[in-house]
Amino acid sequence: MKKNVLLMSLLAVFVLVAVVGFFTPAQVIAKDWEGKIVVWDAPRWPDENDDRFHWMKSRIAEFEAAHPGVEIELVEVPWAELGQKLNIAIAGMDWPDLAPVDISGGAIKLKQLEQGVIEPLDDYFTKDELADFFPGALEAYTYKEHLYGIPSSMTVHAMLLNLDIFEERGVEPPVNGKWTWDEFVEKMQKLTFDRDNDGKIDVYGFSTYIMPGYYEAWPFLMMDGARPLSEDGEEYTFDSPEAISALEKFASLKFEYDVSPMEMGGNDVGGCFQAFANPELRTVAVEPWASWAIASVRNNDKYQTNFMVAEYPIGETGQSVTVGGSGGFVVFKQSNKDKKAVVVEFAKFISDTEQQYIFATEYGTFPARKSSQEMGPFADNSHMKRASEMLQYAVSIPKHSNWPQIDERIQAWLQLVLNGEKSAKEALENAGEEAARFLNK
Amino acid sequence: MIFIKGQINPTEVGSRRRLFRRKEKQPTMHLLKQIGKHKWDYLFLLPKFSVFLVFIALPVVWAFVLSFQEYQIFDTVWVGLDNFKAVFTGDLFYKALWNTFRYTLVVVPSQVMIALILASLINPLNRKAQTFFRAAYYLPTVTSVVVISMVWRWMYNSRGLLNYILSLVGVDAINWLGSSNWALTSIIMMAILTPPGVGVILYLAAMGSIPESLYEAARIDGAGPITTWWRITLPLLKPTTLYLVVLGTIGSFQVFAQVLLMTDGGPGYATTTLVHLIYKSAFRDFEFGLASAQAIVLFGIVLIFAFIQFKFLNTDVEY
Amino acid sequence: MNSRKIFATGLRVMAYCILIVWAIIALMPLYWVFTTALQLPDEVLSMPPKLIPTVVKKFIPLYLQGDKDQALHILSESFKSVRVLFTDIGLPKWFFNSVLVSVTATLGILLLDSMAGYVFAKKQFPGRDFLFWIMISTMMIPGQVTLVPMFILVTKLGIKNSLWSVILPPLAMVFGVFLMRQFMKTIPTELIEAARIDGASEFKTYWKIIIPLSKPALATLGILTFMSVWNSFLWPLIVLNKSYLYTLPVGLKTLQDKNLVNYGLLMSGAAISAIPMIIVFLFFQRYFIKGLTLGGLKG
Repeated sequence: MKKNVLLMSLLAVFVLVAVVGFFTPAQVIAKDWEGKIVVWDAPRWPDENDDRFHWMKSRIAEFEAAHPGVEIELVEVPWAELGQKLNIAIAGMDWPDLAPVDISGGAIKLKQLEQGVIEPLDDYFTKDELADFFPGALEAYTYKEHLYGIPSSMTVHAMLLNLDIFEERGVEPPVNGKWTWDEFVEKMQKLTFDRDNDGKIDVYGFSTYIMPGYYEAWPFLMMDGARPLSEDGEEYTFDSPEAISALEKFASLKFEYDVSPMEMGGNDVGGCFQAFANPELRTVAVEPWASWAIASVRNNDKYQTNFMVAEYPIGETGQSVTVGGSGGFVVFKQSNKDKKAVVVEFAKFISDTEQQYIFATEYGTFPARKSSQEMGPFADNSHMKRASEMLQYAVSIPKHSNWPQIDERIQAWLQLVLNGEKSAKEALENAGEEAARFLNK
Repeated sequence: MIFIKGQINPTEVGSRRRLFRRKEKQPTMHLLKQIGKHKWDYLFLLPKFSVFLVFIALPVVWAFVLSFQEYQIFDTVWVGLDNFKAVFTGDLFYKALWNTFRYTLVVVPSQVMIALILASLINPLNRKAQTFFRAAYYLPTVTSVVVISMVWRWMYNSRGLLNYILSLVGVDAINWLGSSNWALTSIIMMAILTPPGVGVILYLAAMGSIPESLYEAARIDGAGPITTWWRITLPLLKPTTLYLVVLGTIGSFQVFAQVLLMTDGGPGYATTTLVHLIYKSAFRDFEFGLASAQAIVLFGIVLIFAFIQFKFLNTDVEY
Repeated sequence: MNSRKIFATGLRVMAYCILIVWAIIALMPLYWVFTTALQLPDEVLSMPPKLIPTVVKKFIPLYLQGDKDQALHILSESFKSVRVLFTDIGLPKWFFNSVLVSVTATLGILLLDSMAGYVFAKKQFPGRDFLFWIMISTMMIPGQVTLVPMFILVTKLGIKNSLWSVILPPLAMVFGVFLMRQFMKTIPTELIEAARIDGASEFKTYWKIIIPLSKPALATLGILTFMSVWNSFLWPLIVLNKSYLYTLPVGLKTLQDKNLVNYGLLMSGAAISAIPMIIVFLFFQRYFIKGLTLGGLKG
């Protein structure tokens, strides 16, 4: 009988352990402003040891030295996995205190923001402090009139031109980086050729890729004045005549003018970059990229290219257009006010005037602060300077709580158009029908 | 086949003991006694069953609960059957289902047939050759899907090995993973050309256990090798075939890693499969409720298929 | 008689041809992993592709011609990406983690599953069949179903971001219980009865009689478990957040830095992660085969 009791209590203990383990919150709440802060960061530019996290590490060391009792733990996350890891962490209610997130990008869902996962930071900034930020950068971190993060950089998409190929073919690069659609097509045709005389084209004028969350191709679709959603974000407008004409023109690069390779419009981002920048290939003369690529083909030994920055071709509107984005840090839900203050202080510390200047010179982004811009980060970098001029034409991606789903549908149909499987009109209309179910929620 | 019959009935000892305890009428006491009597059995089982409960049973039940909820971070709402409705009215579910069907319908029969043919060809060979081919066909199976998918993606690359081989025969390069017409075919092709190592080994084992006397008899009757194969080998391999078809179907319905690593469901939705859809609902859109509902529907479909195959192929086979 | 012989020989030759061609197709992808891994950095993307890496073609001739420097130079260039993996990137740590996780999980599974398999195969107790079928029926459930609850669970248990989070969940896999039960059913019950009559305790019976007799099945289960843990990808990717905790496949995935795909580096990593499994397979081939046939037969 005793043994039975023993056995039963063993079973009971097991059940208890399982149940208790399951319901006890694992998060330990920091007692006061002395304690541990968890910061996520993604790879930045490398130092001499090829460490791409050295920037954040040095920031942490400096901050810790100035704040005894505060310990900052760095979690290194690759960009490609940041969104997923963050979302998984949110689902498990185990988020970091601070992470590099663009709230209008796919990494965080506005739905989660609405549910209170991200702390609004309005109370931590004075009017004067806010005045130092470019309005566009603040805009990107503002949702329903609250500021949900500290902008630390801005980016823009621009066309990169391999000048060696231009020279090889005797093609004049566009003057001051401006070209109309017709000029663009003409140059692309000249840049497409058979380099080794085997009867097959091996160098192409233009290429890019299409994938959810990537917008390198979108300025082409906007060149005649189309936008994906209406101003209020409630209606799909990418089926307008301007959108259809622009997409038809874009697809004609591949199917009518034959200036793009078979992979154009696929989802191989890495392959696309290699085709442009890998010295072994260099089989595409012109590709659009976000501004980080400028730093890569300028500073990285492996990919150094003789290049220039140009605008997207000008369409019916007579004005070039591009897609802009912004980067920065968001503070996640805090249960301790004092800790929150320290976290915000650190967030400010890593995105002050000097740090944003360093980002601009080393990392290939534009400062979100006017004061950093005034320090002249691009004095010796004409490419970045040229790209920064494009900020004025930058359009941002719509902020809609279901944007990831809408984006996925649109991009899926775009892929089919660039495979020659669907007409521009059919695709954009179908995308609209599929997007509609996510707009009316 | 290695089953030993005529064991001592282990209940015998126990049943005699039970006679003494008949008087106790409270059922709970009876249960306690039972547990006490078999305490070692339960103790032996306890560790495994504990981890099973925590890491499989609990999550499974939890997933079922989730499928009736809308998961939100701070409070979760019961939504009844809404998630299941959303599964069947969603724009991608039928595409994913159709792709998964096509994949399964081509891959499973091909793999089983290839395994059967290869095993039949290997079987008459000498021991050394048998060992060699068995190893060659099984080897790719031990490497992870990540590695296999990585290298296939590299071979399917526009500058990859396959297009080079095509160019040797004068065929134009194919946009393997990039075009809707080819993407699913490419993934299917990879599955078929990755040899069915498991199938080959199982068929060989089954062929090895067919009594030689049956073949003797056939030979005396003057049957040629093909007739023998058709009349004797094939029918006797039926249990193995059934096993491979059922297992293959379950596996194919869950095809995922290849899709994620090679096409991510594209272009368009040409290669979205059911599990890829579940993965996307769960870890891209973070609709855990919807994802759980999709997973449960998938489970149902797999069960139905396995059941049909069992009924269809399992005419005179005991399992 | 003679024509029949020719016919038989013809059949045999044809059989060999088919088998060999298919073996080449089967092994091609693996061959291509290793070839790409060993190609010189500037050869990886070359057209036409180098079917035989330069180092294989040139090293020995150059060495024999006395041009040792050139030979060694080619050798060192060929292993450049392997070197990069081992020195610049945390590959040794990932490798160590993979070994640690796979070995621990395998030992754990061997113990738990042999104990459970033993009572399921050889004991009669209330609820036995019920418990067994509950466990076995979960084998049909796609792993993705439990991914989300598992993640929340691991977070609540406080083992996220430690290697326990990748060691413990595999311990729950039920295939091994099934396998051990199938095998242990073939152990004559008389042996157990005899031990009991000799007064051996239950544990001693298990440890001294059942375990030694089950060695082949244990070896099989051990290898299959090792393989599945070594190759597992999605779960570690989700729960391990720190690069020093990564297992090999997760580390490989992070190598695939989206914007700078480097096939030479990727294939070197793939090769390094594949080599241990290939070695294990070649050495323990018969256990793989045994495991498959055991799992596939009737019970």
